[in-house]
Amino acid sequence: MLLLLVLTAVTLLTLDERSGGLGVVDTVRGGARDALAPVRDATDSAVRPVANFFQGIIQYGRLEDANTRLREQLAARDAELAEAADARRERQELLDQQQLEFAGDIPAVSARVVLASASNLDLTVEINRGRQSGVSPGMPVVNGAGLVGRVVDVSRTRATVLLVSNPTSSVGIRLAGSGEVGVASGRGAGSPLQVDNVDPAAKVAPDEPAVTSGLQQSIYPPGIPVGRVKTARVPPEAVQQEVTVEPIVDLRRLTFVKVLQWTPKP
Amino acid sequence: MDPQTVNSPRLKILFVMLVAAVLHQTLFAALRWGDVRPHLLLLMAVAGAIVGGADRGAVIGFLCGLLADLFLQTPLGLSALAFSLVAFGVGSVQSSVIRSAWWIPPLTALVASAAGIVLYALLGAIVGQSQFVRPVLLLVALAQGGVNAALAPLMVKAMSWAMTDRVESSFAR
Repeated sequence: MLLLLVLTAVTLLTLDERSGGLGVVDTVRGGARDALAPVRDATDSAVRPVANFFQGIIQYGRLEDANTRLREQLAARDAELAEAADARRERQELLDQQQLEFAGDIPAVSARVVLASASNLDLTVEINRGRQSGVSPGMPVVNGAGLVGRVVDVSRTRATVLLVSNPTSSVGIRLAGSGEVGVASGRGAGSPLQVDNVDPAAKVAPDEPAVTSGLQQSIYPPGIPVGRVKTARVPPEAVQQEVTVEPIVDLRRLTFVKVLQWTPKP
Repeated sequence: MDPQTVNSPRLKILFVMLVAAVLHQTLFAALRWGDVRPHLLLLMAVAGAIVGGADRGAVIGFLCGLLADLFLQTPLGLSALAFSLVAFGVGSVQSSVIRSAWWIPPLTALVASAAGIVLYALLGAIVGQSQFVRPVLLLVALAQGGVNAALAPLMVKAMSWAMTDRVESSFAR
């Protein structure tokens, strides 16, 4: 019996691999997702208060800490408000100098995150917009803070978004202060992105903002905030800096996102 | 539909499987301990093996894995392969263990769930999904094993209900 099951599983793996994301396997996956969507939505609405209750218990200590931290941050933000107008002007100038496009000019589809990943290893979320809303694989996904990820799978009414923290995700970035470009790769939930290809001679400052580079054939449009530099160091004899970037978006608490209807320029 | 059909273990197992899949993606998606959540479908495979033994457990594991695969981006069949192997192992070991102790199902769920996620990652690496094999894998596996262990008594009860009475004739057909 076990041998039969193993052979069946291996056959399915082979079929999925050979289809390259276009075959009957993806049709079945999309169909299953669409078919179960109403049941999952209804159950989600019914059990959300229960989940919130237990989540509150699980995270009570963390919530207290967060509350204290937020109060401190609020006080700090009051002081920063006065500087905000000037910062906006500076940002506008910076963007103009670098001839970046605005992500806001790109047509977008608003969506709600309806499901977290069904796995602890595969960092994706499911959104309630699909092919019929104009969502296609490869489209960037953002929220108010910045880059969330990109669409990797679409059914008629749903789409799966690969988060930037997923180890298979890579984003071409530009460090806004130094102008250095690099490739930020996911390292799993809760870990900062690892940035490769940064010149060891470049002066990279902690907390320096990182935005999508939008270089030719980039899979993201330019100028979308990705995160802030967390650490930067040059090991002896290294040919590149070791830079990590903390994602600007809280990927654990996504509610609403926008799918940018943008495809890379050839 | 006559009562015999309604009480069919196959239907009951399918029912438990669908409920587990829906709860896995709704209620338990929100209940995270750190960044780790329970994996109800893997737990169901383990519980199926505890209740039904190696062969039945492997079949249930395969079906649970296949259902899980439908909602993942990883290759179809990866979870099915990992879950069926884990369930078969649990069923094989379980047959030589005295089952009356209350702590055996949680302990089995802890070890088997942790082994399941490690096996899933290793098999994934073989088919080109090397991103799962990371230093935190063991921590994730142990944490998932822990939360699955807490839910194990409930799942074993559910699977005992689903697989009792006509289980022999149903699987023998």
